Amino acid sequence: MSSVIPRHRVNVLTGIKSARLVEDPAEYANLIKKAKRPLLVIGPLLLESSPDGKLLLEYALDIAKVANIPICATAQTKGKVVELGVKPDSVYDVVEIVNALKDPDWPGVKKVGNHDLVIFFGIRSDLGNQSLSTLKHFAPHLKTMTLCKHYFPHANYSLPNFKKDVKWQEFLENLVANLEKGS
Amino acid sequence: MSATGKKLSQKLEEIYERIKAEIPWEPVGPTPMPEIPDLRQWDMRLLKTYAPFYMPFCDLCCFCTYGKCDLTEGRRGACGIDIATQQARFVLLACLMGCSAHAAHGGHILEFLIEKRGLDKKIDLGTFIEVEAPNIRTVVGLKPETLGDLQIALEYVFKEITHLLDSCHTGQEGSALDYESKALHASMLDHVGMEIADIAQIVGFGFPASVAETPLVDMGWGAIDKSKPVILVSGHNPATSTVVIDYLREHNLEDQVEVCGLCCTALETTRYSSKAKIVGPLSRALFFMRAGIADVIMTDEQCIRTDTPQEAAKVGSAVIACLDKAMYGLEDATEIDTDEIVRRMVDNKEQFAILDSIKAAEVAVKVAMEIAPQRKKGWLTEEEAIELAKKCTNCKMCEQVCPNLFNIGGGITEVAKGDFDLIRQQILQCIGCGKCEQECPNNVPIFKIMQTAASMETWKCRTGRGPVMDTEIRNVGAPITLGTIPGVIALVGCSNYPDIDDVADMVDEFAKRKYIVVLTGCAAMVAGMKKDKDGLTVYEKYPPDFAAGGVVNIGSCVSNAHISGAAIKIANIFAALPLRGNYEVMADYVLNRVGVCGVAWGAMSQKAASIGTGFNRLGVPVVLGPHSSKYRRLFLSRKEEDDWKVMDARKREIVDTVEPAPEHLAYVCETKEKAMPMIAKLCIRRNDTPQGRAIKLNHYISLYRKYIGPGLPEDLHLFVRRDADIPLVYKKEVRAHLQEIGWQPREPIGLPTLIGTYPTKVPVDAVIH
Ligand code: SF4
Ligand code: SF4
Ligand code: SF4
Repeated sequence: MSSVIPRHRVNVLTGIKSARLVEDPAEYANLIKKAKRPLLVIGPLLLESSPDGKLLLEYALDIAKVANIPICATAQTKGKVVELGVKPDSVYDVVEIVNALKDPDWPGVKKVGNHDLVIFFGIRSDLGNQSLSTLKHFAPHLKTMTLCKHYFPHANYSLPNFKKDVKWQEFLENLVANLEKGS
Repeated sequence: MSATGKKLSQKLEEIYERIKAEIPWEPVGPTPMPEIPDLRQWDMRLLKTYAPFYMPFCDLCCFCTYGKCDLTEGRRGACGIDIATQQARFVLLACLMGCSAHAAHGGHILEFLIEKRGLDKKIDLGTFIEVEAPNIRTVVGLKPETLGDLQIALEYVFKEITHLLDSCHTGQEGSALDYESKALHASMLDHVGMEIADIAQIVGFGFPASVAETPLVDMGWGAIDKSKPVILVSGHNPATSTVVIDYLREHNLEDQVEVCGLCCTALETTRYSSKAKIVGPLSRALFFMRAGIADVIMTDEQCIRTDTPQEAAKVGSAVIACLDKAMYGLEDATEIDTDEIVRRMVDNKEQFAILDSIKAAEVAVKVAMEIAPQRKKGWLTEEEAIELAKKCTNCKMCEQVCPNLFNIGGGITEVAKGDFDLIRQQILQCIGCGKCEQECPNNVPIFKIMQTAASMETWKCRTGRGPVMDTEIRNVGAPITLGTIPGVIALVGCSNYPDIDDVADMVDEFAKRKYIVVLTGCAAMVAGMKKDKDGLTVYEKYPPDFAAGGVVNIGSCVSNAHISGAAIKIANIFAALPLRGNYEVMADYVLNRVGVCGVAWGAMSQKAASIGTGFNRLGVPVVLGPHSSKYRRLFLSRKEEDDWKVMDARKREIVDTVEPAPEHLAYVCETKEKAMPMIAKLCIRRNDTPQGRAIKLNHYISLYRKYIGPGLPEDLHLFVRRDADIPLVYKKEVRAHLQEIGWQPREPIGLPTLIGTYPTKVPVDAVIH
């Protein structure tokens, strides 16, 4: 495994099992498509807008829509999701959803079985990485992935550190396109 | 033989002797001076519902030379430990550091005071405080009447710390739950240690007690008169700063020398002299030091920066290390003649450790007065800042190392263009760690530039008032336990905030809603660092009483013991339950009936870990800010699945209440918006009357709507027992919602308790008052 210095270099000791860096949106799309019961966990950083003025949350909703992934709205994200005309499939805070995901017998937000892929998007890097660590260590029955612009060592799959926001946006747009292709 | 005539074991007999059991102020309960196993069953009952939730920082353990050991994928270390148990061991260590810091602080103050005043110096906290030491009385079983009695309690704490620390050694405890029980034990002891420290301070230094309306003091670096010699005291232990004030008073210099403080020593010093000023919390330490405003910096202990001598030397501030906890490799000048030290500090710019507070104070004043006139002290002008900012190439190296991932380079780039708006906003979120500037390849003086942008505004902080008065407890005991005062919100801990304004916003939100808001430590300062549209801080806007809608600065970190103490006093004074050696009954009462919620929004230190965990053992839930996920452990329930059974002590029946009240014991929120309704929810208790519950749910729903979004909280149905619990304003909507999801009313519970639901020596009768 290539060793990657996370963007967030403070307070990270990646230990030995760090996330696989994925830079190709097609590969990410495949990982998502392969999952049987994915879950998209969205956080408050998505309430900020990206350089092109589009709300980051809209990318998340696009991804959920094209790939048919249920959403878990954490912190205060529910309000904006509803405002955009979408009813979140579940509302839990990040530590609550992680606590439920840890339990292999939890039926998941759709009540059809626990999730096999959990995608984090828009959670603060420190809290996000710590929560991913919980899943890495205590939820061997599922894989984790992040869509934020920083590298998250505790995930299974992570994006690299994007120096330029536009590059990250491009990735997200390509991801949506790739997900759409197969569906 | 005990007072009751029963034959005691030899060990208990020794304990009875130490706690003076023959003085019959209350019967001795089942656990005086508890040791590790004595409250373990209580812990296990708590941990059954509020299971530890681990967030490992890294995958390895490197505690011993067998390591590093890889603890991923179910692997165990060479000693046999697994990842969960290793996290728990780490938490215990953190709690022990915290507990030791306060206990040693207490020990130092006690020693200093006993030398001055003698072992027999009486403890008197004024007319309105009879239950002077609820934590000591409950845990130790001793009613401390003199400084000597405090020493007995402290010796017990020291002994327990040794046993607990022993258990962290490689190759011993193999259960995460047992480590957590030990962490709870260590943290309960922390509250005893804090209580000892603060009572000693109040008695020894004459800090205010039995009074609510303490003075308002000036806060902010703008409040400091740079034209005078400036002495900065930093840390937590006021043994030296109070002597500085004494020296100034004796020499008629109080108006000629500025004394200002950082962190808790600032709070303590203002309890001694309302002329002293508060610079701010720890997050402002480096900014202030680098400004070079201080002529002399005096450090004592805990959360003082380890690079103080280096930073001070850069700007020509003199340094005196006043306590053995941090001597920085400096020459110990305690035995050197005062004039010689002054000369060497002034002429050779030498820094010293001086462990005699009287000598340190004299040296500090003399050095400050000599060097101040020669030093140039000023802030950078905006024009100078703009020039310096032009060196920035926006390479974003600073952003990479910032624990908050700020776009600080962006802020600096804006300054270069003459726009300070972004950086003004960033300083509110900056924790002052200095990592950005250290990393900058172009040596942009980020701190200096930020300082220029930082507010020169001054604020007001109310001086810490120490324990809540017994009279106040009598007045609020009923409304708190019935729920008609919707809760007590305790904002405590350090300054690792997502945003420094959050604390003031929380205080305002809950005080406005007639909760009782109490504060300590850095949180108590920053609460005052925001003004409303009329220019008032929360300390000026709300009354200082422990009553509905009051905003009460209890004091420093060690004053946290008065918050746990207030919860215990509700059980003891209001409900008349005996507390002596009766920890389980007190904690059970607080958990089920006292709607109090701790908020350590910027918790950073190990002391904050033990303060919070100590509250948890007493049945008080704590909400933490997002950084606190790095403590590695929370206590979370799963509301729909967990065991919410209690004993109804009146009917002697075990009842499944279904309601997760309180839902969690240690919880991390990502944002202030999420924290607001969560705090309100965590004040819900099983004992609430319908009227009280309706008030609490009213706030829960309205905060949810204000900060999260439209509709009703997803878990609302779990907290509605009967129709009468539904708040009037939301009656129609809530009824319709409950009907839709098939909600069924539940039987009221006469007297909820966990006693009787797990193996314990405590009989159910013990909770009936
Ligand atoms: S304490 Fe145990 S897990 Fe840690 S390094 Fe030593 S053997 Fe390994
Ligand atoms: S590291 Fe220095 S040069 Fe680079 S962006 Fe930050 S302030 Fe500018
Ligand atoms: S000092 Fe402030 S801006 Fe700089 S790295 Fe630390 S938190 Fe970030």
